[in-house]
Amino acid sequence: MNQHIEDRKQESQRFQLKVLVNIAGALPLLLLIGSYVRGELGFNPVEAALQKTGQIAVIFLVLSLAVTPLRKLLHFPVMGFLRKPLGLYAAFYAVTHFLIFAWWDYGLDFQLIWGEIAARPFIIVGLVALLILLALSATSLRAVQRKMGKAWIKLHRLTYLAGILVITHFLLAVKGNLLTLQGDYALPLILGGVVLMLLALRLPFLKRIFQ
Amino acid sequence: MTSKKQGSVPLGKDEITPKHIYNSRRKFLKQMGIVGLGAALAGCVPATSPTSGPTQTEPSSVATLSGLTDELGNPLTDYSAITGYCNFYEFTTNKENVDDLAEDFVPDPWSVEVGGLVNKPQTFSLAEILEKFDQQERVYRMRCVEGWSMVIPWNGFPLRQLLEEVEPTPEAKYVAFQTALLPEVMNGVNSGMFPFPYLEGLRLDEAMNDLTLLATGLYNEPLPPQNGAPIRLVVPWKYGFKSIKSIVKISLVTDQPVTMWNTIAPQEYGFYANVNPDVDHPRWSQGTEIRIGENQRRDTLYMNGYADEVDYLYDGMDLTVYY
Repeated sequence: MNQHIEDRKQESQRFQLKVLVNIAGALPLLLLIGSYVRGELGFNPVEAALQKTGQIAVIFLVLSLAVTPLRKLLHFPVMGFLRKPLGLYAAFYAVTHFLIFAWWDYGLDFQLIWGEIAARPFIIVGLVALLILLALSATSLRAVQRKMGKAWIKLHRLTYLAGILVITHFLLAVKGNLLTLQGDYALPLILGGVVLMLLALRLPFLKRIFQ
Repeated sequence: MTSKKQGSVPLGKDEITPKHIYNSRRKFLKQMGIVGLGAALAGCVPATSPTSGPTQTEPSSVATLSGLTDELGNPLTDYSAITGYCNFYEFTTNKENVDDLAEDFVPDPWSVEVGGLVNKPQTFSLAEILEKFDQQERVYRMRCVEGWSMVIPWNGFPLRQLLEEVEPTPEAKYVAFQTALLPEVMNGVNSGMFPFPYLEGLRLDEAMNDLTLLATGLYNEPLPPQNGAPIRLVVPWKYGFKSIKSIVKISLVTDQPVTMWNTIAPQEYGFYANVNPDVDHPRWSQGTEIRIGENQRRDTLYMNGYADEVDYLYDGMDLTVYY
């Protein structure tokens, strides 16, 4: 009897979280489009849209990585399923970010784009991260997950690599000196710190502390 | 407020210039997209004119300049964009917030100390500068190292005139510049992110080139604080960071001056910083740029389109080495 009530409670919590995460996922895009339409993206709208989509993508990715430790910390097992929608939204905004670069900014001029990508480490790093996120998105369907079995878990551990690559991409895009931290490094450093911390929490001995 | 003379009026106070030089200079200036409206700012700039309100409402004089272009036919960038999108890290690194944060920056009184290896060192007040040197109108392209650009109608006078006034000695090889450092008004200074005060420099022959401008206004209005009031440098063939703002000190020196961006990242920001699509920034390309107000990228021009006027300065220099 109690189990039945517990299940129902979990089901409704799950539903509420689902609604919440999808609102959270769609809202930034709607706000961005709204800003653009109203001419509120400032004097360099391409740059503003590029920066905002990048920031939104990395925040979703970090949130996705934070689910497992937070779930244990808050004793809230239901939220575990959030990894998938958060990860998918990260991928979505990453694709949008890339399209703003390749399509809106560089007008799908492949020669120009290739020239940029091939020579710029920071773009290559971002592109690899994007490819990882696309691969994870493509294999996110439950049917695929079942078919892949253990390999799926291994593949999806690449989320951490994507997180590191994305932070590196962000750091390399800042005007200044990374080695002396002269420049606008606040946001990428904070996010970098969070990613490292989340990575560290996966290490066996730290995992045990939290269990 | 400003008494502007309409029509093609010569640049004022040129009686002392020999006629053939005056005519060729006028022809040159016409080719450079300078409009001879003769808006003499000397004596017409109010003593204190802090900008009011967070966003600049377009002043009436903007209307007289709209529709004008640079010498290549590029339209002027909107006054709102020029004054609303600025890199002035002493205030903030957010380009669109500088106008708000610079509101309290009232550059009055202001003096510029000009010295070093000169025969007649002098500290000029802004009023003295405006009195002594005729302000011309010059439409220049400005290309930021970040990959965006604008077309700006400056008001100012050639730096050469100021240097000739103080008479550099034969030992003088470079000109060093320094920006005001006012932590009480400039909120970004205390962040510790950048090694202020902002410093810049030019080789003496670059400084003496007629294009090199000391600007005191734009769009026939005094420089707003966010654009480097009350007096700044404009070197149109170099990346924008060379065009140092809010100058308090100019020194003639023998050694290549220290510059802030070169101090921060020497492999990325060189001393010369000439606009060059063939010399990339280490982390991004300089082949194209986005002109603020336009939708499509455009090709970046060698020396920002001023090669004819400045190429001689770099004869025999490998610009991949001297970036």
